[in-house]
Amino acid sequence: MTSSPDPIQELRASRPAAPPELRARIRALAAGEAAPASRPAWLRLPGRRAALVALPAAAALLLASAGILGLARSGPPGAVEAGERSKAAPELADQASPQPLPAGVAGAGGAPAPSPVAPDAGRAQRVTATLAVEVADSDAVSRAAQRALDLTRALGGHVVSASVATGEEGSASLIVRVPVTKVQEAIVRLSALGKIVSQQITIDDLQERLDALERRQRSLRAQIAALGARLASEPLDPETRARLEARLQNLRAELATLRREAAGTRAEARLATIQLEVVTPGARGVVPVPSRLDRALDEALNVLVWEGVVALAAAIVVAPLALLALVAGLGRRLYRRREEERLLAAR
Amino acid sequence: MSLDAPRPQVAAAPSFAAVAEELLDDVYGYLLYLTRDWALAEDLTGETFETALRRWGRFDPRRGTPRAWLLAIARSTALDRFRAEARRRRRELRAEAEQPREATDDQPRGEGFSPRLEEALRALTAGEREVVALRVVLELDGEETARLLGLTSTAVSTRLHRALAKLEERMRDHDLVA
Repeated sequence: MTSSPDPIQELRASRPAAPPELRARIRALAAGEAAPASRPAWLRLPGRRAALVALPAAAALLLASAGILGLARSGPPGAVEAGERSKAAPELADQASPQPLPAGVAGAGGAPAPSPVAPDAGRAQRVTATLAVEVADSDAVSRAAQRALDLTRALGGHVVSASVATGEEGSASLIVRVPVTKVQEAIVRLSALGKIVSQQITIDDLQERLDALERRQRSLRAQIAALGARLASEPLDPETRARLEARLQNLRAELATLRREAAGTRAEARLATIQLEVVTPGARGVVPVPSRLDRALDEALNVLVWEGVVALAAAIVVAPLALLALVAGLGRRLYRRREEERLLAAR
Repeated sequence: MSLDAPRPQVAAAPSFAAVAEELLDDVYGYLLYLTRDWALAEDLTGETFETALRRWGRFDPRRGTPRAWLLAIARSTALDRFRAEARRRRRELRAEAEQPREATDDQPRGEGFSPRLEEALRALTAGEREVVALRVVLELDGEETARLLGLTSTAVSTRLHRALAKLEERMRDHDLVA
């Protein structure tokens, strides 16, 4: 009876040893050539560990840059507060056009009132002004509205519409018409009812239109005179006479229309329209000015959003390429593995 | 029979000369099992250490032992040689070089093996021989061997048991004949 052979024992017992010549060669190789210096530890980081360090570092860098940019862009408090106030009432602030003051005129609370643009006295013009003044409270709104109405009448004008709302936050809206010769005074005095928030003055020239109407009227009058003379002096057949008389009638009707239109234009040029808004700060919806920290956080958030957008765009561009590279890498690995198997099986 | 043995540990920052001195037999033994040709194994061992010396600066002890690193270089060097030989053979076939080739020496040319072990090793493929060399002769653990060969631990285990069974069978046959 033979014992079963133990290949493991035999394999270990006959463990090959390198021949002395080979050992001498390797010793000479190791002793003769200085091994290159080891790379720094951070360069020897394997890919996954490097990613574990690089990803948080990149995130921290992005956050830090967002914070720094946010802080830098939040700006000094004074400058931004002014900007925020402009944002609070953009439709008013955009229209404001500060003008030099005439001597002796000042707004409420000592604030200077702007001087309105003066219409040209020698031409027919449509003058429209929109004013917004701010007063302290609801009671002041009522008083200012009443003074505006009194002032309008005192200047020879009239009220087109008036709306006054009182309560916790009051507001008044008035549309008045004053003689155009008094509009400058009216605007200055209405502006003095409170703190000017905005002012817009629009002047449209009506003179050309009026001149055209008058030229057309002169032409019509000449034609009417000529037709009248012809009808009175010339012997005409009944048909021609009837046609000329109809023509004469049309011209006279057109002349009447032109006269009415010219009168309306002149009336429009005589009276200026002023729209006045009287408001309290609360009614204007003034937005509280955010603190520097809030602004910095907002700006940092904006920067982060943009960084995210850029990162997303980069990912969209890079992702297909990375996927292709991954597939190619896996394919190459699989191919090499099979090739190795073939090579090893063949020996 | 137990294959699990403690892994030899090498100092954290050894010199290349010390590593070469300690691991030369392991590298040579592995290559001899893989090639079954002592001359080729010597050549490949020399190439392996030359390559290792060039790359020594890149060796990171935290990622593995010097032995696993050297054996990976040895394997890559051997496979490159096998590829080159395969290409050369294909070229020769394509050119239809009609010169009669000398018969391939299929005899094992390892030194120090008993005749029955030499004959038994002849029955194994190179893939099986390298698993035997790594797991049995050099006593690498299954995980390290799998990593080195790019296989799963299960595949390594399966291949090893198949190889050992073949070896045992051949050795028994040899004993019977003898």
